[in-house]
Amino acid sequence: MQDEAASRVLVCIQCGKCTGGCPESGRTPFNIRMLVRKKQFSYTIDESIPWYCTACNACTIRCPRDVKPSEVVIDIRSTLVENGDIPLAIQKALENTFVQKNPWGKPRSKRGEWAGKLNFKVPHISETEHKRLLFLCCVHAYDPRCMVIPVNVATLLHRAGYEFGILGEEECCCGNEIRRIGELGLFEELMEENKTNFKEYGVKEIIALSPHCMNTMKNEYGDTGIKVMHYTEVLSGLIKEGALKPHKPFEKEIIYHDPCFLGKQNKIFEEPRDILKSINNTNLKEFSRSKEISLCCEGGGGRMFFEVETHYKRNSETRVEEAQSKGVEIITTACPFCVMTLEEKAVEKGLAVKELSEILMEVI
Amino acid sequence: MRAGIFICHCGHNIKHTVDVRYLSEYFKKIPGVVVSIDYAFVCSEPGQDIIKESIENQKLDRVVIASCTPSLHGDLFRDLLKKSGTNPFYLKRVSIREHCSWVGDDIEANTEKAKRLILSGLYAASHYIPLEEKMVEVNKSALVIGGGVSGLSAALFLARMGIKVYLIEREKELGGHVRLLNKVWPSMRNGKEIIRELIDEIERLDNVEIYTDTIITNFEGFFGNYQVTINNNGQERKFIVGGVVVATGFTPFDPSIKPELHYKKDKRIVTTLDLEKGIEYLELPKKPRVAILHCIGSRDETIGRSYCSRICCINSLKTAEEIKQRYPDSFVESFYMDVRAHPRGGEEYFESLQEKGVLFTRGNVAEIIPTDKNIIIRGEDTLLGEVYEKEFDLVVLSIGMSTAFDSRALGQLLKISLDKDGFFLEAHIKLRPFDTAVKGIFIAGSCSGPKDTEESINHGRASALKLFGMLNLGYAFVEPFISYVDPKRCSGCRQCEEACIAKAIKFDEKLRVVKVEEAACMGCGLCNATCPSSAISLKGYFDSFIADEISGLLEIA
Repeated sequence: MQDEAASRVLVCIQCGKCTGGCPESGRTPFNIRMLVRKKQFSYTIDESIPWYCTACNACTIRCPRDVKPSEVVIDIRSTLVENGDIPLAIQKALENTFVQKNPWGKPRSKRGEWAGKLNFKVPHISETEHKRLLFLCCVHAYDPRCMVIPVNVATLLHRAGYEFGILGEEECCCGNEIRRIGELGLFEELMEENKTNFKEYGVKEIIALSPHCMNTMKNEYGDTGIKVMHYTEVLSGLIKEGALKPHKPFEKEIIYHDPCFLGKQNKIFEEPRDILKSINNTNLKEFSRSKEISLCCEGGGGRMFFEVETHYKRNSETRVEEAQSKGVEIITTACPFCVMTLEEKAVEKGLAVKELSEILMEVI
Repeated sequence: MRAGIFICHCGHNIKHTVDVRYLSEYFKKIPGVVVSIDYAFVCSEPGQDIIKESIENQKLDRVVIASCTPSLHGDLFRDLLKKSGTNPFYLKRVSIREHCSWVGDDIEANTEKAKRLILSGLYAASHYIPLEEKMVEVNKSALVIGGGVSGLSAALFLARMGIKVYLIEREKELGGHVRLLNKVWPSMRNGKEIIRELIDEIERLDNVEIYTDTIITNFEGFFGNYQVTINNNGQERKFIVGGVVVATGFTPFDPSIKPELHYKKDKRIVTTLDLEKGIEYLELPKKPRVAILHCIGSRDETIGRSYCSRICCINSLKTAEEIKQRYPDSFVESFYMDVRAHPRGGEEYFESLQEKGVLFTRGNVAEIIPTDKNIIIRGEDTLLGEVYEKEFDLVVLSIGMSTAFDSRALGQLLKISLDKDGFFLEAHIKLRPFDTAVKGIFIAGSCSGPKDTEESINHGRASALKLFGMLNLGYAFVEPFISYVDPKRCSGCRQCEEACIAKAIKFDEKLRVVKVEEAACMGCGLCNATCPSSAISLKGYFDSFIADEISGLLEIA
């Protein structure tokens, strides 16, 4: 993949389609088009520059010459990683992932602790009939803010009578962010460990809680023969079938923020909206930049683990301001990273951010 | 057998990796070879003279030419044999360029390979029998598919030259896309008027039959005698034509497949073609801010259209001019990757609009964001390296040309090829730009790639002229490679009858064997491959020839 990206650099026509859609270019020292040009000519690139990229993939999706600018960034990063010229926080995250299989370095033995908060027992995947695996992001497993999400989704699936299992402490980081940081060796190691587990337990379907995990398992793990879905796809299906009934009203003005890895990268736009539309009395609004042109929250591409050097207005703030101008009370989304980045700014302005499953829990 | 072997150097193309001198010396020793010569350019006039003299002086009855691929210069060498007084089907071409010298750099290996290829050619040629080309009558009539500006031009030319023309059009009205144009650059004449003139002229002639609301349902036969079935508004009709001009045009690109452009989701986002209806209906403010976006549906691999549509830059300029004329105080900004104002006068037209105050910003617009108040355009000014968000009242998408939606199906029906983008493919991009690989079928206008109105008219006329030249002869030669049945071996299983697409095989109820109707046989060879008792062969391609040819390749020299 790397070689492919590197070779496509030569066909760039510097049209600027990438830069115009880039969530970082124009506001920060980062300019994706210029980065590609510098790479074309093998010019020196300031080592702080590649780390602005949030891996939203808008550039690669739209590039008329299929240059894959986001892969060029990964290419540049991987050289920096190899030489050790990387921000300390990134280095830490990589080390943590190597040792504990999660970027925050929390003990692996505690990965399955969230399931203790459920009032029923979730079986290990090996004990299930349908071999459907509920796959958590590291942030779901360890972060106190996001731990509620797997608890909610598991409860909802359980109530719908939908059988599933978990891997518990055998689960390891999916590697999506690791690949984007440029540590391809570690990514492959993580992928192999997960794939070995999937194979051993005969996993047939994966319900990923994070769009980031879903993306890499669906598009970058190769042909595993496993059907990978985001949990909103499963839940919207269960609601349509009538297995789940959101019967309580939710009288709120809400707005849905499309996560890049769910929306523009994997074209899942309608399922989360279908879930929200099935709730009584809810007024669902849309951002001016939604669906394919959704504005990235800046949580991807390793940006969850460190801060870039320059101070500038965050996209999450722009997002929250627009929501506020539209009279919205709650911003909802279906990605743990988006929840974290948006909430920081929303709370300052008196708005709430709820993960989709949190709203569903209130109405079912 | 008195064979002559002529080995071409093709300048350095063959010589630099094949020892041609060694080969010509080697073949002198082979029994049956009377002449063995290597020469710089066998296809050049002096080269042809050498062959001609050798045939005449040495009474050659087999000619093996080892040079470029047989598809190149095939007719040239065959004619040369004819002129030299020998049967043209005594010619064997051996490719030692594409299949040998161009493949590797190892001189020893290439020379050995070339030797085997030539030997195998010589063995095949030793079996050759003199064949006669069949002369067939040519119907002086033509089918023109598509009643746009190109098809109309072709039909008019052919009809004026006295050819009976059947002009068919899928739509209810003739005129294609030019009919929809308010002004056609550079004359700025109304498209409808241009079309009207062409139609008026055609209607004055009594040898043109026009069928609108019509599609082709069946197509069979060969040059001079194509049998066409059409469906004219539910009614079936059949006729015979000598040749065909395909002028099926294009489909305007539909920008709604690019979600970031929001086309069809907001009425303030329109295409250049939409604007041909006029600007008034848009209800713009007195001083409108208008953005024009180039390259929509062109030069874009994400949607499988990597080509430049060639017409849209001029269309963008024309749109800018329209707006400036209607709203002198408007602000017009054009967003481009490159301004390719190709045709003569295009660059001056571009300059004249800059003088009128139209601004040009380099950079492919990334996103169009409709808001209640206006439309925001997001992109990068790539010359300044700055990302902008600009507000406009109207966004015009300068759309490119996509292939006609049914060109693949039509291509299959006529057995003509498409290029990688889905446009009809010419037989040779420089030497035969109007021909297809099928004899008597020509292509015209934008069905063979984006073209403007002027080019489409010229292309239509040129194709018509070439077809006229062929039809006007009144006769044509058909290659003699047709099927031949050995009645002693035929078991009468009739599998070949089913396989034959030309319907040339008939079963003789009395003798219980099949027969080939020579006039109908296309020489495709399907029956040969189907026959379980090897009773059918193509004249000139018997099984024994091929076996010997292979043994030439495998022989240890």
